[in-house]
Amino acid sequence: MTAPRPYALLAELTYRCPLHCPYCSNPARARNDAELTTAEWHRVLREATELGVLQVGFSGGEPLVRRDLAELVHGAREAKLYTNLITSGVGLDESRANELREAGLDSVQLSFQSDDVDLADEIAGVRAHQPKLAAASFIRAAGIPLSLNFVIHRRNIDRLPQMIGLAEALGAERVELANVQFYGWAFLNRAALLPTREQVARAREVATAAKARLAGKIDIFYVLPDYYETRPKPCLNGWGQRYLTVNPIGDVLPCPTASSAIPDLHFENVRARSLDWIWRQSESFNRFRGTEWMPEPCRSCPQKEIDFGGCRCQAALLTGSAANTDPVCSLSPNRVRVDAVLRDLNPSIVGAFDWMPRVNPNKEAAATLDREVTR
Amino acid sequence: MLIPAQIADDARPRLARGVRLQIDGTTGKSVLLFPEGILELNETAQEILTRCDGRPLSDIACALAEEYDVDLATLAADVREVLADLQRRKLVELA
Repeated sequence: MTAPRPYALLAELTYRCPLHCPYCSNPARARNDAELTTAEWHRVLREATELGVLQVGFSGGEPLVRRDLAELVHGAREAKLYTNLITSGVGLDESRANELREAGLDSVQLSFQSDDVDLADEIAGVRAHQPKLAAASFIRAAGIPLSLNFVIHRRNIDRLPQMIGLAEALGAERVELANVQFYGWAFLNRAALLPTREQVARAREVATAAKARLAGKIDIFYVLPDYYETRPKPCLNGWGQRYLTVNPIGDVLPCPTASSAIPDLHFENVRARSLDWIWRQSESFNRFRGTEWMPEPCRSCPQKEIDFGGCRCQAALLTGSAANTDPVCSLSPNRVRVDAVLRDLNPSIVGAFDWMPRVNPNKEAAATLDREVTR
Repeated sequence: MLIPAQIADDARPRLARGVRLQIDGTTGKSVLLFPEGILELNETAQEILTRCDGRPLSDIACALAEEYDVDLATLAADVREVLADLQRRKLVELA
């Protein structure tokens, strides 16, 4: 099918990060090539605008690790892009916040692990909570709109009311309460992260009530825990339809988790090809574009233009083939695999001793990781 | 916070912080850009928002009624409806 125009680019500037969250969105095993340079990113941003992209999210890893971040924000604004910074806040002092505002940064999404300092630091694997609170105040003082992002899982899901309270106290305009999705590090740590059915039911009530109470004041965005749903999420609004990701080493991905979840897919690199060619012509962007690739039960399903068959990465991770229906769907012959995970859930696995903290690329026990990945 | 049932004539609507009004180079249409969101505007919304520059709602309605030669009461109702919707979505603030 012909390629539509994309709307948003996720620019993953680095895999480096001072935090070690067990659900990190970095690939569990990242390639160790050199990060894109400032000039290369500037070119990517210009090419993205030419392709139709309107928004860029600077992410990572921790994007503040890049000393050229303000320069990149400035370049994005020159290219007329709306600029979001998706950050842990660690490394954001007053002068950096002002520098980013001067560069034209439109909005900041600041992650928190919990409202409770001890739990937050335990999850992050480092004392990050206080610096995050300071970062929030620097962002407010600089006059940049603030969103708070929480990844929700078994350890913190019962504190949803307090976490929403933190967002109110910090003057956030928006809160994202995202139930952890199981890819990469989160997939490896699923046994310790998956909430119980009871927890999920309560959390949904809390989020719904808070949404009503804070309407017009804080915009609350709740991401469902999809293992507990019966229909899959409309992942990416369809493969290769609206979004693209460029990772730290320049690979262009239809989805940020695709590089580790779908090993048989080859991704093109901005060092070798134009973004335009990759978006329109590459095999990786075209493989699951549209509805032609769909197997049954999707092919004849009236929902196929609504959920697009769900998530390709989830199909790959849970069924062994990215071309299968997302097994979250109750119509999928593989739904039994999701049900088995839910049935085997052991709620007594709750602590930092039960998960594997994320390691920085190039560091620490790669051998240990290999064992975990293949076990 | 409760959204008032009707926006007053002297309310001064403006884009909320972090919201940008821009021409989409691909379609030539106006879009609102905001955190994690893009809203393509229809002509009515675009005409209203380009006038949200600090003047009161009544002036915006008057200017549009004159330009399009429409009944002021009808137009003011349309303007209120569009702005109330955008305010609910935190894209517009009233001063």
